[in-house]
Amino acid sequence: MDFDIRRLLDRIRRRRTDTEQNGERSVRTDGGTTTERSGRFSKMRHSDAVQALPFWLPPALLMGLFVYGAISWNLLISLTDWSGLEQPVYTDLSLEMYTQMPNDPSFVAAFRNTVVLLVAFTVVSLLIGLVLAILVDQNIRFENTFRTIYLLPMALSFVVTAIFWSWMYNPSTGTINVVLSGLGLDFLTMNWIGDPRTRLAAIIFALTWQFSGYAMVVYLAGLRAIPDEHYEAAKVDGASSFKMYWRVIVPQLSTATTSAAVVLMVFALKAFDFIFVMFGDTPGRSADILAVMMFRVAFSRTQWAYGAAVATILFLMALAVVGPYLYMQYKRGDL
Amino acid sequence: MANRRSATRRQYLLATGAAGAAALAGCVDDEDPEDVEGNGDGDGLEIVHWWTAGGEEEAFNALVDGFEEETDYEANPNPAPGGAGTAIDTEVQTRVLDEDPPGTFQIWPGEALRTYTDADALEPVGDHWEDGAEDAYLESVVEASSPEGEIVAVPINIHRLNNIFYNTEVLDDAGVDIDGIESPEDLLEAFETADDAGYVGLAQQTQEPWGTLQLWEVVFTGQHGVDTFQQFLDGEAADLEEEINESLSLLEEYSEYFNEDAGTVSWDEANAGVITGDAAFHHNGDWAAGEYQGAEDFEYGEEWDYAAFPGTDGVYTLVMDSFVMPANNPSPEATEAFVEYCSTVDAQERFNPPKGSIPPRTDVPTDEFPPFLQDQMEDFEASDEQVTSVSHGSGLEPAQASEVEEAFAVFTDNWDPDETTQDLVGIF
Amino acid sequence: MTAAESAETTSREQETSALKGFDTQRAALYTVLLGLIAFYLSPLWGGLTTAFKTDTGFLQTTPLIPPTPEWFTLEPWELALATMQGGLVNSMLFVVPATILSATLGSLAAYGLTKLSWRGQVGILVIFLAGVFLPYQSVLVPLRQFWSAVDLAGLLAFAPFLANRADLIELTITHTAYGIPICTILFRSYYKTMDDEMIEAAKIDGASAFGIYKRIVLPLSMPMFAVTLIYQFTQVWNDLLFALVLVTARSNYVVTQSLNELQGSMAQQYNIQMAGAFIAALPTIIIYIVFGRQFAQGISGAS
Repeated sequence: MDFDIRRLLDRIRRRRTDTEQNGERSVRTDGGTTTERSGRFSKMRHSDAVQALPFWLPPALLMGLFVYGAISWNLLISLTDWSGLEQPVYTDLSLEMYTQMPNDPSFVAAFRNTVVLLVAFTVVSLLIGLVLAILVDQNIRFENTFRTIYLLPMALSFVVTAIFWSWMYNPSTGTINVVLSGLGLDFLTMNWIGDPRTRLAAIIFALTWQFSGYAMVVYLAGLRAIPDEHYEAAKVDGASSFKMYWRVIVPQLSTATTSAAVVLMVFALKAFDFIFVMFGDTPGRSADILAVMMFRVAFSRTQWAYGAAVATILFLMALAVVGPYLYMQYKRGDL
Repeated sequence: MANRRSATRRQYLLATGAAGAAALAGCVDDEDPEDVEGNGDGDGLEIVHWWTAGGEEEAFNALVDGFEEETDYEANPNPAPGGAGTAIDTEVQTRVLDEDPPGTFQIWPGEALRTYTDADALEPVGDHWEDGAEDAYLESVVEASSPEGEIVAVPINIHRLNNIFYNTEVLDDAGVDIDGIESPEDLLEAFETADDAGYVGLAQQTQEPWGTLQLWEVVFTGQHGVDTFQQFLDGEAADLEEEINESLSLLEEYSEYFNEDAGTVSWDEANAGVITGDAAFHHNGDWAAGEYQGAEDFEYGEEWDYAAFPGTDGVYTLVMDSFVMPANNPSPEATEAFVEYCSTVDAQERFNPPKGSIPPRTDVPTDEFPPFLQDQMEDFEASDEQVTSVSHGSGLEPAQASEVEEAFAVFTDNWDPDETTQDLVGIF
Repeated sequence: MTAAESAETTSREQETSALKGFDTQRAALYTVLLGLIAFYLSPLWGGLTTAFKTDTGFLQTTPLIPPTPEWFTLEPWELALATMQGGLVNSMLFVVPATILSATLGSLAAYGLTKLSWRGQVGILVIFLAGVFLPYQSVLVPLRQFWSAVDLAGLLAFAPFLANRADLIELTITHTAYGIPICTILFRSYYKTMDDEMIEAAKIDGASAFGIYKRIVLPLSMPMFAVTLIYQFTQVWNDLLFALVLVTARSNYVVTQSLNELQGSMAQQYNIQMAGAFIAALPTIIIYIVFGRQFAQGISGAS
């Protein structure tokens, strides 16, 4: 309908151009001069913008409403003092929810844990992913099978992996402690998720298990993109494998590292499901993160405005991670 | 009630399994009239509750049966367990906010009602209590049902929180005299004695913070009395720093006599230690007695017994459940009838024996109750003071109660009385 | 085949110098790789053995050992399935439409942003791209407000079957909206590499933009549809957070919710929990095993 009208208009316009230039309807295939052709294309380009609208605009509107509309609304809610079971009042706005944050020990702990999780999880996952990628890239047999298995945890839901890991960490019969005592390392057995000193580390370890395969995939693509000559050149120099990778190959993986790091950090910010399933909405100060705190404050305590403010902080953290990355990509012309 | 966060629930699984199958059938056959009722917009009275396992489920079914027999209405129970107990809050809060509440729902009376009364989301129900019922309730219970002055809830049961249960044989063997324990400090000595004899002093769970919180509540009450605890509930924690610190310090000492796996078990698993004779004491609400009554060759007065928590003689720490009438009610008449029914002797006599609690009405015949509960009913009537609890919702409004619980989550992590004292003071 | 054997065969394929030292290096490599496999599979293995054990069985044996006949049982699976079957059906009901919708819309948007050339695309694209990285938390409260204001159940009152499933329809639309950014990005990276010749030819032929999409781009997009559908299905199926906030009626619980509930109510029944975890994970595991390459393509495209 809409398309048809536009197509009709388009045809008419094009015909007019043709007629103007040739004095008659041109044969489309081969006819016309070069000048005529470029003229026609620029016209088409112009109409392309219009033609493109029906394709990207509806999805953009739907997404814009839910993503950007919601973020703005969330910001607005965070400026109110809305709590309880009545509807919010948007008249008296203030930054009170934000100013109380530094004095809230629970926020401070959650913020600190979020940063620790973000950094530790990302760094460890990248390192393990890099090692995995290098190992898998050694021209091995059954490469596909190895890769598939290392990546498998990523296909699982946080709900599923949280349940698996709470069993792994069970102090008496869980795999971790059973293996440790089997190796004669009894002194290392701990109540991993029960003990506040190891809780966050245990979470990071489990999340690394789940996502290091992702870093491997990204690095593997990076490694494969490095021309063989670089390896050869390094070998001729007589460098050991380790030195070769460290000096020649790894520096060429900076793009892969950046993009994997960004995605991993975003995963870390989203680690809500995992912690929520493992510990409920009150994981204690040793493992609380902003994502869980936001849910607890808003949905369990009905302190909506404060929850929205915590959510805004989370959003800003994501922006701080992603913003520079997107800008960099834009500068490089990768967009 | 507290079992809402408990473990081992086969019966529950089977029950919800049936519900799942029904849901399955419902989505294949959309002409199923039950399905059309959806969230309870039909004729039935939708009752949201979390009693889905064991004796609790039995008790709830008995209540529903009685309601359907005594009135013309049909009940449409909608269980909302799970989510570590937060499921029902989230679900009901969301629906009230959306002005699409259920006909009635289960809630702790007292401060837990505050979330709803603040939003004028509850109808007064005092007029719908059975005639004369109010006189049969103790004043403190009526008070808990009317946080803003008007009665908005009907309590259906009362659990006692300030109990200490024990295995008599273990105490005999270890040489502990229960009558000699008069204060929470004495109890610590009893733990030491039991420990020296090779027993676990106190079977306890620290996996979830409410276990430690409720223990602190009775320790505090035992040390400093009901009035001081009430002061805490009234938000005067800042004036009570010393007292709070003292009770937390004692709790820290207690913690050395907990079972080693306290951090990873549920309360009923911890409590099993008392039954097997590995542990001397267990602190809990009187729902814990259900475990003893279900055990073989474990008789009340013979193998196990209880006392008021040391220092709390004459005090009854109330843990109650009630039903309310939400505003914008989809089925006002049925809800009124249900509220009235819950206030009757018949309802409370059906509900409480299987629940393992005592009726809020003091005029319910005791014949149907096991000896342990008969003793509790006597204690209740004879009690001089009743007080509510934070761990079970009635003592503090939900946001504060949740923060207190969080503070105790930290306490069970580091057992640092000073830090937790500051945390608690900082909440108010 | 053992590590040593495979190391040997591989090394033979290698060039001339089959040095002894080289062989041990190879063997060490395969040992490490296999050790890593053991690590990556151990949580699944421990879960699987536990799910087939009786209560006493999983308490008295280690999770590393498969159940002996003495401890073997299928009961955990029956119990878990009984609790979760409603959730499985509900998840299927909303995940499939949400996946197809977001992939389709993503494809259309990517087409509009690539194959038809016009200025300002990058600006629009950044708006899409940023949406990929959004933490869901930052929209939860408004989302809940939005859907309660819309009152879908009320709007659908004429069709009780749909009205009863309003929660699921809300989830479908929500997940579709939040899936659009990543789907668009995936399709766009694919379209950028697509050969323009046919499209140019069709343009000269006077084909409309929609005609080009339908006759040329769409058929060529099928491999990318596979990637996107698989990625999106996995994401949506695995999500818990949106369901926690949007689904209130128990009859509409999705599979992650019913698994979470199973875990909460069966705190120490690890055998039932593990069986439940596998039931919830099964669709995604199957898809992953069958379409592993597309999955890897999807997640690496997401960066």
